[in-house]
Amino acid sequence: MATIIINGQEHTLPEGEKLNAIQMAKRVGVDIPYYCWHPALSVVANCRMCEIEVGSKDPKTGEIKMIPKLVPGCQTPAKDLTVIVTDSAKVKEHQRMIMEFLLINHPLDCPVCDQAGECGLQDYSYEYGQSNHRFIEERIVNPRKDVSSAIQLNQDRCIMCTRCVRFTREISQTGELQVMNRGNHAEIDVFPGHPVDNPLAGNVVDLCPVGALLDKDFLHKQRAWFLSKHDSVCTRCSTGCNISAEENRGQLWRFKPRFNPQVNDYWICDEGRYSYKAANDPALLSAMYLRQNNDLQPAPIDQALKTVGETLGRIAAAGDITAGVLSPFLTVEEAYLMASYIKGLNAANILALGPVPTQGHDRTFTPDQVKGRNGDTSFIVPRPFTIHAEKCPNRKGVEAILEHFQGEVITWGDFEGRAALGDFKAAYVASDAIDPWIDNERAASLRSKVEYLVVQDTTVTPLAERADVVLAGATFAEKAGCYVNANGRLQYSEAALPPRDGSLPDLDVFAILLHRAGGPVRSQEILAELAEAVPAFRAVAGGRVPEFGVSITEPARVGVAPFPFNDPWNESRVQVGAKNA
Amino acid sequence: MAEFEPVLSRNWNVTDGHTLKVYESRGGYQAARKALTTLDPDKVVGIVKDSELRGRGGAGFPCGLKWSFLPKDRKETFMCVNGDESEPATFNNRILIEKDPHQFIEGILIACFATKANTAYVYLRVEYFHAYKVLEAAVAEARAAGHLGKNIYGSGFDLDIWLHRGAGAYICGEETGLIESLEGKRGWPRIKPPFPAIEGAFRKPTVVNNVETLCCVPHIIERGAEWFKSIGTPKSYGPKLYCVSGHVNKQVCVELPLGITCRELIDKHAGGVWKNRKAKAAVPGGISMGLLSAEELDTPLDFESLRKPGCLGLGTAAVTVMDEHTPIIDYLYNCARFFAHESCGQCTPCREGTGWLYKMLKRIKAGGGRLEDLDIMANMANNMGIMPGTTICGLADGAAWPIKNGVAKFRAELEEYIKTHQDPAYGATTLQAAIAKGAYAVPHNGLPPVINSVPTAGALRSPHSA
Ligand SMILES: Cc1cc2nc3c(=O)[nH]c(=O)nc-3n(C[C@H](O)[C@H](O)[C@H](O)COP(=O)(O)O)c2cc1C
Ligand code: SF4
Ligand code: SF4
Repeated sequence: MATIIINGQEHTLPEGEKLNAIQMAKRVGVDIPYYCWHPALSVVANCRMCEIEVGSKDPKTGEIKMIPKLVPGCQTPAKDLTVIVTDSAKVKEHQRMIMEFLLINHPLDCPVCDQAGECGLQDYSYEYGQSNHRFIEERIVNPRKDVSSAIQLNQDRCIMCTRCVRFTREISQTGELQVMNRGNHAEIDVFPGHPVDNPLAGNVVDLCPVGALLDKDFLHKQRAWFLSKHDSVCTRCSTGCNISAEENRGQLWRFKPRFNPQVNDYWICDEGRYSYKAANDPALLSAMYLRQNNDLQPAPIDQALKTVGETLGRIAAAGDITAGVLSPFLTVEEAYLMASYIKGLNAANILALGPVPTQGHDRTFTPDQVKGRNGDTSFIVPRPFTIHAEKCPNRKGVEAILEHFQGEVITWGDFEGRAALGDFKAAYVASDAIDPWIDNERAASLRSKVEYLVVQDTTVTPLAERADVVLAGATFAEKAGCYVNANGRLQYSEAALPPRDGSLPDLDVFAILLHRAGGPVRSQEILAELAEAVPAFRAVAGGRVPEFGVSITEPARVGVAPFPFNDPWNESRVQVGAKNA
Repeated sequence: MAEFEPVLSRNWNVTDGHTLKVYESRGGYQAARKALTTLDPDKVVGIVKDSELRGRGGAGFPCGLKWSFLPKDRKETFMCVNGDESEPATFNNRILIEKDPHQFIEGILIACFATKANTAYVYLRVEYFHAYKVLEAAVAEARAAGHLGKNIYGSGFDLDIWLHRGAGAYICGEETGLIESLEGKRGWPRIKPPFPAIEGAFRKPTVVNNVETLCCVPHIIERGAEWFKSIGTPKSYGPKLYCVSGHVNKQVCVELPLGITCRELIDKHAGGVWKNRKAKAAVPGGISMGLLSAEELDTPLDFESLRKPGCLGLGTAAVTVMDEHTPIIDYLYNCARFFAHESCGQCTPCREGTGWLYKMLKRIKAGGGRLEDLDIMANMANNMGIMPGTTICGLADGAAWPIKNGVAKFRAELEEYIKTHQDPAYGATTLQAAIAKGAYAVPHNGLPPVINSVPTAGALRSPHSA
């Protein structure tokens, strides 16, 4: 245990935690402003914003000796008996100087800048800056340029923190971004023909504390303060990166990464980042359909569900078999209710896992601690980031439920094979997959082998076209619930959008089919039931999911979760998390 | 004190002094042989420590002490010799290498033996093409003669020397900037700690020494620490190569005991100020070190005495003399331009501060000066650099010192210049006028108005605001 004295108050730091002064102060509620430092990147101490007064206390005499000059907090380890002063006149004066310096060549074009509202310069100008401006010389006007087809760089706004450069060297290890030129003519740039197009490229935009690096997909579309932020989980692959799904006026505008040391640290991949678009697709199913006169006709929600319930009930009563197909895009709560429903109709009914889409190979980025720039990396715990080839969020979760209900997992291939043999009278396929997942040929052959086909999905697929009933379910953005990622970590994802007109969240569909009393269901209720019913889910008793999720199959990759640290100008994203905890 | 005997420059005027044959015939490589065959490395470090040799590269750090910071259990050590010599008006390293390369190689050899470094990199300023050629030939000669290579003098010690040429950046003379550049990266100084002795080139323990520092080493081994300490002034021992340039009759590089006064150097060794003029000021040791006014020219040029007149230190002991016709604004403008051009751009205060100072001085020079500019400059200069703790390397201190000294020592002249050089082309901006009227006199946030030192009302002098 270490004792650290911050602004005259003693605080303790448990054994084994390695923090710098910025983190230590934050831990006890004291803010030290900074720009260039980032908890996952090497320390370079170049912005000089985090300077504080540092000293040490003699353990015997209690005498405090201060270093006469200012010291960067990022570079100061919180060791036993370290004395930190963050609020002296000297420190404040220094902060004002740095703010003045950073702004002398800054265009101050906040009204047209995307970063406004979540900008380190804005926030710190207000908190640590000054309203006077002594600079009357001509400003340097640096160019605006593209560093890739997706990312724009407004160089005149850059404060040369080099976070973006360090990211491409240390994390993605693709090294596209460089500092060019010297002094106040220094610019961030790429070499001709080598754009920042690595699979993690978009993270440099999130890392940029100011409005220099911009996502062209989001450019000038929304003001940050209009966006409501929802703590969500990316469904694009089985990594299950924590994201903030940001919505305004019933539409998603962007995904931003959310810190989770057990899963994605501070990053997401570009594929996941732009997967939000699927939720805004105007072609999403906007009604339930019933087959009448050999044609699919829109039907009221209650009528469609009633038809399904009655028909499947009749089939079960006749002793015939219905196969339920649970796609790995369902949440564990949905999978649990659906499995309960299908098995409840007839214990002999069969449950199968829907198609598990894969693409390429897993790709892991292991942070480079050595070859990176000159910065100090000694304190960073390297945590690799993996983009999985498995392009769905919840295979493990659905499998755990299938195993509980029938002791085995029947794959989609096996299911197709058995359907072809005429094993099933009816099939109920719940999909919600993002990409097209079945072609005409397979859809036709499955259709021809079952008498009654219910398809629950978000888009019109070849199978839906051939179904007897089409139920409009919820997209990843419209559903709340939990997914189990590739490492067996169960995580809660909040709904970012309300259900579309004409659709019903899958969880409600199953609840109605099950005749559950009490109106709309909450995923937490179901999760609590699931935890009680299925031993594999014991860890989420009461439906409570910890902040960083909980491991249900494998041990956590990080023993003690590191102190969660987020850039203060991004903190609104974090407070959403606190609300749900 | 006995008559001073130059040692560093003793071969400069000898015919073919740069060749191995001549160097050996004049007692060359005897010190290295003595060190490698009769002493152990720690003993050599001890002797250098006893001599209190201080680094000649600028900072004046005790050389033996630096060597003793290397971790005891290290497996590999690198020696980086700093021959980047980019401080304006400094040229002693160049002459040392061109005229007597073997003295330099012998110094490297002994230093590497002492620090157990089997690889030495000589980082040479790119413009030193001749020095590079000479050194390259000398290294080849030394290697052929067994002074370098494997098992030197049968001592079991191996050494290789590699020459590396820079690309023309001042900042690559800063020791960690040099290491980065040597590793093939952009020459951006590293944060310390870790210091190079613990983690330097290729993340291995590394010693960085200046060319002249190492050239002193063979003589210390040969003649002993006591001899070395018999030269110079307290805490500044040994001989030093002083470069004199600027408005003097004879621009020279001359070896003298440390502690000679600036005036003696100018009058006795550089033939006095040119054109029978008087000196107005002199740069004591490269422009980073600040400025001595005419009254301060009796200051001894050693590591300690220069603090008194407010200079940063001895630096490279390169004296530049300005005669009485030189406007101080020109001196400040040139210094600011140099540092704005050479700042690597990493630290906010240095990157923005050097650029701002340069633009401000350019404006003042062109006739747009305001009296409060002097306060702003002084305020900025007081707050940038490793001394106040606001930057990574000392370049910012070097940029600040000329401003600090110039404004303090020549304020009257600068004010006079501003008042008499007003160009109507520079009108006051609305903001300027408002500040001059004191409209912003009360700090809005209740903090001391130090950074934003509000100019006194009416301080603004512009033809338009009268
Ligand atoms: C901006 C800057 C430039 C420097 N340039 C040089 C240089 O050109 N040559 C040099 O020997 N030392 C230079 N130094 C000093 C080195 O950092 C270092 O102190 C020196 O090489 C150590 O050698 P010494 O102990 O033998 O003096 C420079 C320092 C700074 C801050
Ligand atoms: S572009 Fe942004 S992240 Fe990159 S150096 Fe500039 S301010 Fe920092
Ligand atoms: S002080 Fe200046 S030159 Fe030195 S590292 Fe910082 S920006 Fe670069």
